[in-house]
Amino acid sequence: MSFKKMINSMLMMSLLMPVLAFGQEKLTGLQIIQNVYDRPTGKDQTGELTMTLINSRDDQRVRKIRQYLKNFGQVEKKTMFFISPADVRNTSFMNWSYDEQGRDDDQWIYLPALKRVKRISSDSKSDYFMGSDFTYDDLGDRHPTEDTHNLLREEKYNGESCYVVESIPKEENYMYSKTITWIIKDKWIGLKKEFYDEDDDLLKMLTVKKYEKIKGYWLILHSEMSNSQKDHKTDMLLENVQVDVGVSDDNFTERMMKRGL
Amino acid sequence: MRTKIISLALIALFLTAGYALPQGLTFRGYGRTYLGVLTEDGSYSIQQNTLDLKLEHKRDKTALYFNPYLYQYPDRDINLKLRQAYLDIYFGNIDIRLGKQQIIWGKADGVFITDIISPKDLSEFLLPDFEEIRIGVDAVKLNYYRGDHTFELVWMPRFQPTIFPGAESYWAPKMMAFPMTPTFDYSNATVESKLENSELALKYSALTSVIDFEIMSGYLWDDNPTYHVRKTVEPVTQQLAGITVTPEHHRLSMAGGSFSATLGAWVLRGEGAFYRGKYFNSTNLNLTDGVVIKDYFHYLVGLEYSLWDFKLSGQFIQEAILDYETEIYQDQFQNTATFLASRDFLRETLNLQLFVYYGFNNEDALIRPKLSYDFTDGFEILLGANIFTGNGAGMFEQYDNNDMMYAKVKYSF
Repeated sequence: MSFKKMINSMLMMSLLMPVLAFGQEKLTGLQIIQNVYDRPTGKDQTGELTMTLINSRDDQRVRKIRQYLKNFGQVEKKTMFFISPADVRNTSFMNWSYDEQGRDDDQWIYLPALKRVKRISSDSKSDYFMGSDFTYDDLGDRHPTEDTHNLLREEKYNGESCYVVESIPKEENYMYSKTITWIIKDKWIGLKKEFYDEDDDLLKMLTVKKYEKIKGYWLILHSEMSNSQKDHKTDMLLENVQVDVGVSDDNFTERMMKRGL
Repeated sequence: MRTKIISLALIALFLTAGYALPQGLTFRGYGRTYLGVLTEDGSYSIQQNTLDLKLEHKRDKTALYFNPYLYQYPDRDINLKLRQAYLDIYFGNIDIRLGKQQIIWGKADGVFITDIISPKDLSEFLLPDFEEIRIGVDAVKLNYYRGDHTFELVWMPRFQPTIFPGAESYWAPKMMAFPMTPTFDYSNATVESKLENSELALKYSALTSVIDFEIMSGYLWDDNPTYHVRKTVEPVTQQLAGITVTPEHHRLSMAGGSFSATLGAWVLRGEGAFYRGKYFNSTNLNLTDGVVIKDYFHYLVGLEYSLWDFKLSGQFIQEAILDYETEIYQDQFQNTATFLASRDFLRETLNLQLFVYYGFNNEDALIRPKLSYDFTDGFEILLGANIFTGNGAGMFEQYDNNDMMYAKVKYSF
């Protein structure tokens, strides 16, 4: 062992000691959110997503999507093929999300009428996805360092022991002034999340209705986002989920976006 | 009569589809009714009903796609055609598509620079949806994939030219001016279908985390005819006795490229094509056939940005004739710009859009506002206008009397 390596090992030991010594201490808000962010969801995943948009008169609009996800190490790729409604059938959307902090996602859309895969800006994260109550940012993995997290309390919610964490965006003029998340202690799943607008009034609430352990991974299968200010909600159901089935890399290419399902 | 029988068969197929579809066959399309009114005198510029069917059958390694469509007008026979009809064969890294197909190249919006494989149907100028403007070409298309890199080879055994509106149409383009009324000779207007007249094009493209780009080349035919002008002179008086105009298509070699990249919130696009040996009309009728052959460059730069929920896009396009001669009918530099602003409302059920073409040379423009509303999923109501403005003899100004308002109602299934 060289002198430099020995010094490094000693430094590592000194850093680990406090963690070992106070391992039973309360986690911080950041650590809890980091655990949610780091919760393993498998190397790859496929599933059928049904979004039901419900307005105040209970009128419903249904959107069906087949999606593929795969983790390529530093980048997670996702492709969505739109099945219905009829006028968007065969449209596809691809997103490459990078681990690198601060790096924007790359996004492309294929519109069958134009027969062209078009690169789009991923800057519009506050845009609502297909007219639903979910913004693109709600659906993506928001990096924990983008917010300041405070553990408010611990409490039971729907029979589960939860951490209640308040997250305040560091970015000024972000679409939410804060969010409050109820996180199941041993599963690192956000069971409920409240979104507050710039006036600190409740804007939306995300409720997880069903989660399941599939191949050892905790996955959210059914959730609902309701906008209390606009009296509108979106039900999101993920079915036929398959994890670690060896999804081909081809599913994340221009070739497959054009070919469709 | 034959068209009517085919139309009836198509309608019967449509009506019985739910009962007779083989497993794996998807059947979709739309019906649309479209009414256009000229603002000048209130006459109808178009009354059209459309049925567009898309039938697709897929297996693991093969697929069939069939897209017939029909246009019905009150004063014309039903127009039944095939937009596309092709077979796909999928190998490991290779896809082959055989048959009538639309082939789209390039990154530009609403402008054709390297996108010249599928010719255009300009029966209604540039007003229909681009899916309806592009004509399917008979072709063999081979794609070889290596990760995110694609090599594409296209062979078109038969040349398909641009479709222009008839002389009686609202959209008939203005011809160049002649000192006397010319006689048209269409004997050379078509290109004989034979192997040596086939077209070949090659493209390499890549989609990467930094940039998307394409590099392409083609040995093609000019989709638009050149008007060869021959004078007849009275032998004794040497006075002009007649002018004969002979439309003729010529070979055209093209090389080009395009790219698209994001710069923060901006999307930057570029596209350019170099054409070798393109024919241009000259105002000097003493030249042989009144034409000259020049190299030609056509390029575009464009930006996209979102501001206050509006999606904004601007493009600058320039056509440049190299080694220019002042007698060439077309300007040395033809500058055009496009502008698009679009915003969704009511959970993406209502869309407001403005698209503008602006020609700098003649200070003319085509302004296209439109409002579309999804009454329910798959049922769209669209109201819009096409406004032509300008001074002089520009591409858009020539239709100054064709300002129109229109409504389209579309049912998709």
